[in-house]
Amino acid sequence: MALWAGGVLAALLITTSLVTVARMDAERQARLDHQQGAEDAFTSQPDRHPHRMVHYGHYLFRLPSPLTAMEPGVDPVTGQAIFLEGHRQNTAAGSEANRSAFLGDLSWPSPALLYQFFVPLLLILLGYAAVVRERENRTLVALMSQGVGGGRIMSGKGLALGAAAALSLLPALVIGGRAVLMGEAWSAVASMLAVYMGYLVLWCVLVLCISSWARTRGAALTSLLALWLVVTLVIPGIAVHWAATTSPSPGKISTDFAMQAELRTMGDGHNASDPAFAAFRDRVLSQYDVDEIEELPVNWRGLVAEHSEAKLTELMNRYAEQRMTQEEAQARAVGLFGWLSPYLAIGNASRTLSGADLATHHRFLREAERVRFDFVQSLNRAHAEQMAYADDINRSRDAAAERRTRISADNWKVLETFEFEPAPAAERIERALPAVAMLALWLAAAAAASVIAARRLGLQ
Amino acid sequence: MSGSALPREFWLVLRDRAFVAWLLATLLLAGFAVWSGSREVGQQLELVHELTRADDEDRRTTFGQQSDWGSAAYYTFHFTHEPPSELAFAALGQRDSMPWKHRVRMLALEGQIYESDLSNPAIALLGRFDFAFFAALLLPVILIAGLIDLRAGERDAGRLELLEATAASAAALWRLRGGLRLLLICLAALLPLWIGGIVNGAGALPVLLASGVVLLHAAFWGLLAMTVGSRQQPAVVLLIGMIAAWLVFALVVPSTARVAIDRMVELPALADIALTQRETVNDAWDLPKEATMTRFVERYPEWEHSAEISRPFEWKWYYAFQQVGDQSVEEISEALRQGRRKRDRYAGWAALLSPPALVERTLQRLAGTDAVSLLEYEEKVRDFHRQLREFHYPRLFEDASFDPAGIDQLPRFDASAANAP
Amino acid sequence: MSDPGAQRLEADNLCVNRGGKSVLEDLSFSVASREVYALLGGNGAGKSTTLLVFLGFLPVARGEARVSGKTASAHPNEVRRCAAYLPESVSLYPHLTARENLDYFLKLAGIAPQATAVESALDRVGLQSSVRDMRMGSFSKGMRQKVAIALALLRDTEILLLDEPTSGLDPRGIDEFHGLIRGLSDAGKTVLMVTHDVYGACQVADRIGLLRDRKLVAEFEAPSGGRIDTETVHRAFGGGSL
Repeated sequence: MALWAGGVLAALLITTSLVTVARMDAERQARLDHQQGAEDAFTSQPDRHPHRMVHYGHYLFRLPSPLTAMEPGVDPVTGQAIFLEGHRQNTAAGSEANRSAFLGDLSWPSPALLYQFFVPLLLILLGYAAVVRERENRTLVALMSQGVGGGRIMSGKGLALGAAAALSLLPALVIGGRAVLMGEAWSAVASMLAVYMGYLVLWCVLVLCISSWARTRGAALTSLLALWLVVTLVIPGIAVHWAATTSPSPGKISTDFAMQAELRTMGDGHNASDPAFAAFRDRVLSQYDVDEIEELPVNWRGLVAEHSEAKLTELMNRYAEQRMTQEEAQARAVGLFGWLSPYLAIGNASRTLSGADLATHHRFLREAERVRFDFVQSLNRAHAEQMAYADDINRSRDAAAERRTRISADNWKVLETFEFEPAPAAERIERALPAVAMLALWLAAAAAASVIAARRLGLQ
Repeated sequence: MSGSALPREFWLVLRDRAFVAWLLATLLLAGFAVWSGSREVGQQLELVHELTRADDEDRRTTFGQQSDWGSAAYYTFHFTHEPPSELAFAALGQRDSMPWKHRVRMLALEGQIYESDLSNPAIALLGRFDFAFFAALLLPVILIAGLIDLRAGERDAGRLELLEATAASAAALWRLRGGLRLLLICLAALLPLWIGGIVNGAGALPVLLASGVVLLHAAFWGLLAMTVGSRQQPAVVLLIGMIAAWLVFALVVPSTARVAIDRMVELPALADIALTQRETVNDAWDLPKEATMTRFVERYPEWEHSAEISRPFEWKWYYAFQQVGDQSVEEISEALRQGRRKRDRYAGWAALLSPPALVERTLQRLAGTDAVSLLEYEEKVRDFHRQLREFHYPRLFEDASFDPAGIDQLPRFDASAANAP
Repeated sequence: MSDPGAQRLEADNLCVNRGGKSVLEDLSFSVASREVYALLGGNGAGKSTTLLVFLGFLPVARGEARVSGKTASAHPNEVRRCAAYLPESVSLYPHLTARENLDYFLKLAGIAPQATAVESALDRVGLQSSVRDMRMGSFSKGMRQKVAIALALLRDTEILLLDEPTSGLDPRGIDEFHGLIRGLSDAGKTVLMVTHDVYGACQVADRIGLLRDRKLVAEFEAPSGGRIDTETVHRAFGGGSL
């Protein structure tokens, strides 16, 4: 029966791995293509006024890292593309989760979910009877009376169960090897596999402990199933609830109100005569030692655009950072429950190592903002340096002046080629350390319990 | 005889400590799910209240500062949202992964509607422990554990023959015991739902319908467990078999169906919509203004008489190319929405093969938190955006002078015309 | 009671298979009303199986087992209503007291338990009154046996099917039990007991059937007013017991 379940799970693991690899490959390719398309579209725009390009904007796509084939993490639940334009920070749009058909909370398995959630269940079914069976059949006493110690019995059973766990990691090994070939650092892949092995070994030890403590097979199986449910479903539920209520993150619309109120005091960058820019004008005039903006060697409108974009960005970044800090605080609050549930700890470690955690998504948002600011500001610089102020202010009235404000399309090459990558492996490993420490503590506690259990066996 | 059978078994089951503990655990889990869902709904309502107030204040401030209808339309935002329904506490549903609030203005809607102000992905990923989750995935496990060893447990304890030899009818005894346990577990699961319904002011009908769904689901697993449980096998073998059945119904069937449906119904890429729409809107600056106005007038012939643009910049031309931007992606945007509906429709059929998926979907449908309800909300936003445009077009095309009092005539998003299941 | 001399229990060429193996072959015997019949045999001879067949728990491959004229496999509920069963190793609910267990099982049999009747039944089987309100989890095998016998008495059925009824009792308990069985027989009950205890069977039975290797190999009948000779049976049994 348990072997049959093992066969089903093996088939499930293999098909899920294949499906996830294919899905993430397709995602990666599609996003690469879209990224290329967006860059081509931008650079192939004709000569025109640079501010038009500021509003034309650009798209960035978050590429999934090679290890997301094992652990897609937040990739399906976050937007994967972000539209960059002047004066605005947009959210990442287009998450897979709201496009796919909903068929229940367990309907989107990945190899990671299977290893975190279902392989422990399989280990329970394979191993719950390991020791208690000997007790029920009264073979335990026979073994003991032949001088076989409790420790040897436990480690023998443990080796058998551990072999099953190691065997189940074969698909993960293949995905990991593939990730290395795709350019993932071997240290990240090795850490990932080690963490999963540690997690599965932890379950093996827990199964053996309870199997040796229980008086009947039924009791062993029931308590293991209860433990499994509590660790994988109940505690995460409580953790999410706790995090959502104790460290709320109200979202972008909420912070936008506060930001817009602050914005109104800052002046509109499209309107160079906005009184908000008076101080800036005085500073520029004295810097160039002239009396009127018309006398400036550079285009005043471009200067204002550059100046206000910088100030606006500072403001927007402040609010964006505040939002990200709130989200990180929430994620940390959930993460702390890893001390209570190794399922949460492995999830955090796995997402961090694969580059599919919240921090990686934030890294994408920050990089996107940097790209946005750079291309907008270099266009604003061109706006200031490559046209006359007189032409700029007359361009809606005077067709010839308008033609002179169109700058060369060569300027659009300011756009750098963007290919998102998660943080370097060393940084990811370091970030995964707290979660790994939680797992290590669990493992140490379980190992201690197993030693006590083995002694107890020996005493009977 | 049967009249005294129920009190007899009730008396016995209350003395079964393991079962009573199991019952309490059920009550606690369902209670926590309902409480947690209610808290979340409370937070969402509070947020909606706060945002509505801030939005109102913000609009009054900005609107008052404008001097023409064009910039008034440009600078005033409108907060739209889908409030959580009376039953949302039981099924928070897709509200973590699909937007239920948008702040829109009169610019091209296709550039705004895909912005998603979602909750923390770290939370959306783990999912909420709501009543729907409990009823769909945990309740089966509780029922399996509580019912599978009814008979096999007595056999393992050596009481089976004496019990069956003593009972007037063995089959009736197992039916009664199974039914009683099933009923008690259902009561423990539903009691928090009813209390939650009262506290959240839900109507009797949706709560009763939800209870009916849970009862049918429980009956399915209860009968399955009792049928499997009547086989001549040790309790643990039966338990493993039932866990396998749970895996198949909760994971294997729905995930296979999901992959198949996503393959079967291809959706246009969001990037294609966004890129096309941006191209159209931006190209309009370079195109002759007639080109834009002709396409606009095709849709709104009533403004043909004032569609001529003579100045380099006129607001009506600006909003016309916003409108044309939306028109340019109408087909592909419609295909995206149709595709999502189609996926959901197929998922509805596929859910017939997976009771847990069916329960989660049905509860979300009843609570108005399923994909269809949130797609309906998107339609409502589109509708509101149309009202907004059609409010402004006469003012722009007839060159109406700006009136700050006009703020009271602005269309308002009606969130209350919401979520009829 | 119905007419004396009528056959209460009848096995006709009974063949039973369990798990693909034959466990009873061509078993034929009958027990008349008011008779005490002991089915004697070693381990695995098919004794307990015979009782389970009479209770309709096991399907019959060939032949028939009838209780008061009713085929057991076809009418299990009717058969169980007129026959009380005492399993070999009695397990009752360990978290309930002796009295509570009796209450429950009596209600299960459709009998409203009466405190005085329960007391006197427990007196008859010799369960000390000090333990009657204790949980049965702490009971010895003999004490559990006594409670189950009390249940059989209280059910007041015409037929008693007893599986190794004396196996958990001490010598004095066994003696008292034999007296109890005789008393029941005198009161008109029909008793079929299976045992491997030759001495006990000879003490109490009107007739003894010797079951060996799935088959009935010999029957012994007590002379009127006397007992079956232990030596004879013991020799036939092959000296396996005693």
